[in-house]
Amino acid sequence: MNSTNNVDFLKSLVEEKYKVNKTEVIDQYQISFEVEQVEVHRLLSELKLEGWKQLSYLSAIDWIDENEFEMVYIVFNWDRPVHVQIRTRIDRDKPVMNSIMPIFEGCKYYEREAHEMFGIKFPGNPDHEKQLVLEEWDDMPPLRKDFDPQAYSDRKFPVREYNNDFVELNGKKSKQKDRLKRAERIEQVGKRGNK
Amino acid sequence: MRELKLFLGPQHPGMHGNASVHMFVEGDIIVRSYLLPGMLHRGFEKGMERHSWVNNLALIPRVCVVEPDINEMAYAMGAEKLAGIEVPERAHWIRMIILELARISIHMMAYGGLGSPTGNYTLMYHAHADRNSILDIFEQISGHRIYHQYIVPGGVRKDLPVGIEKDIHAFLDDLESRYTEYRDLGIENPTLVKRIKDTIMLPESVVWELGVTGVGMRSAVNKEYDIRKVMPYALYDQVEFEVPVSDYSDARCRVDIKLKEVVQSIGIIRQCLAKMPEGPVRVPMAQGQSMRWTLPKGHVYSVVESSRGEFGYYMVSNGGTHPYRIGVRGASYPQGLLGIEKYLPGTRIDDAALWVDTMGVCSPEIDR
Repeated sequence: MNSTNNVDFLKSLVEEKYKVNKTEVIDQYQISFEVEQVEVHRLLSELKLEGWKQLSYLSAIDWIDENEFEMVYIVFNWDRPVHVQIRTRIDRDKPVMNSIMPIFEGCKYYEREAHEMFGIKFPGNPDHEKQLVLEEWDDMPPLRKDFDPQAYSDRKFPVREYNNDFVELNGKKSKQKDRLKRAERIEQVGKRGNK
Repeated sequence: MRELKLFLGPQHPGMHGNASVHMFVEGDIIVRSYLLPGMLHRGFEKGMERHSWVNNLALIPRVCVVEPDINEMAYAMGAEKLAGIEVPERAHWIRMIILELARISIHMMAYGGLGSPTGNYTLMYHAHADRNSILDIFEQISGHRIYHQYIVPGGVRKDLPVGIEKDIHAFLDDLESRYTEYRDLGIENPTLVKRIKDTIMLPESVVWELGVTGVGMRSAVNKEYDIRKVMPYALYDQVEFEVPVSDYSDARCRVDIKLKEVVQSIGIIRQCLAKMPEGPVRVPMAQGQSMRWTLPKGHVYSVVESSRGEFGYYMVSNGGTHPYRIGVRGASYPQGLLGIEKYLPGTRIDDAALWVDTMGVCSPEIDR
């Protein structure tokens, strides 16, 4: 089994027939292609026919500065072991990507998760809008870069007051005050740096 | 007949992990079912984006609770691939020892897990006791029992303690001497065999449809589809081992393969201990402060063979100190979600726990 040949084979196979924006050979077991959105389904089904019949991973990346989502599909062939990454950019304001369920049925839950975490719509996948892990979620999809967990939790949950007074036990004097003083001193040293 | 809804988990002796299977039953036959994985912390992926590459070392083992080392390995391999770090040879051998010990421990846990829904508690206690011995070894090596944070980008955190080889050999000899006993207790035990033979099938077509990997796949397609064989990482190409396979995947067969893998892992660890050279175990990840460690731009997908199949990290760096995006490919994702929805219906209620155990569903890696 010669794995360098596999990468070359894939490279020529894909670059001949499809418009590839960027090809990157990561190592002898991995290659990535950046293609246009319309090419993805054709490319995936061709790869499946060639033996890349396992969908290993499907997800998205939020490139907020360019206002785009990047879809990632990784397929794998056990007989010619190369992981093929197929990536494509879609519009972030109206994120729609046709489902690949007719090609890889196992994508059903990956797409559902991508919808929940990024808000991407997958026409063709009947269940993609059902909630998966987030129960009663009422904010923007959480894996988008502009979602701030700290702000969400401040808004959602009441501020909790902590009581620092401790009771004296068995007549022993509480060391709480000393500890607080020490913590304060450490914090000051941390701010100004140890001289 | 009236349709009833039943829950398996999250608090159920037969359920492994904090997920729950919602089952709609008629009589004792499941007619519809789905998995609700959202019982855990959820938000590892978001959390990883908000911590630096180094800080994440403390977070990643938590993605799969019972088998944390694969996370460390996949993360370390991905980071090394991005940064172009060459790992010293001794570190590779130590990593393989850790990974194989972890594989034995998780197979033992799954084998013991077979005992609890079938009422064979002796098996469960014995298997967990052996897992405990492995955790003792891990404690000596890394200082931690469950989350070791031992495999780091660039090698391993520190060298093996002096004399640990003796302990590992003693444990392996002990386990090997009781191997037939284990088989008799579990998968050769007539009461248990009657329960798990010819049931909970996984045909080859389903394997390809769902994308099941690991033990499930190898038990059905009869080929050595193991990442350690087809695209060796670390130094798996320098050790000799066999990949047990089968073409008839029922519950018993999958457990049988797991036990056979334990024997292979024992062999691998012995070879590692014999072949391991002296030398450094770690190269520094970065010059200067590790907190300011940056990785070059790139997308990389790094995979390891876990006890449940292909386990991978998809890592994206934009050249900063923090990861831009990290995605986890949980090995039990296909069978845990789509498998339970499509192929659990038709079985009986009491098969559900066995289904989840023998297919190897680990809920935290679904709900990461």
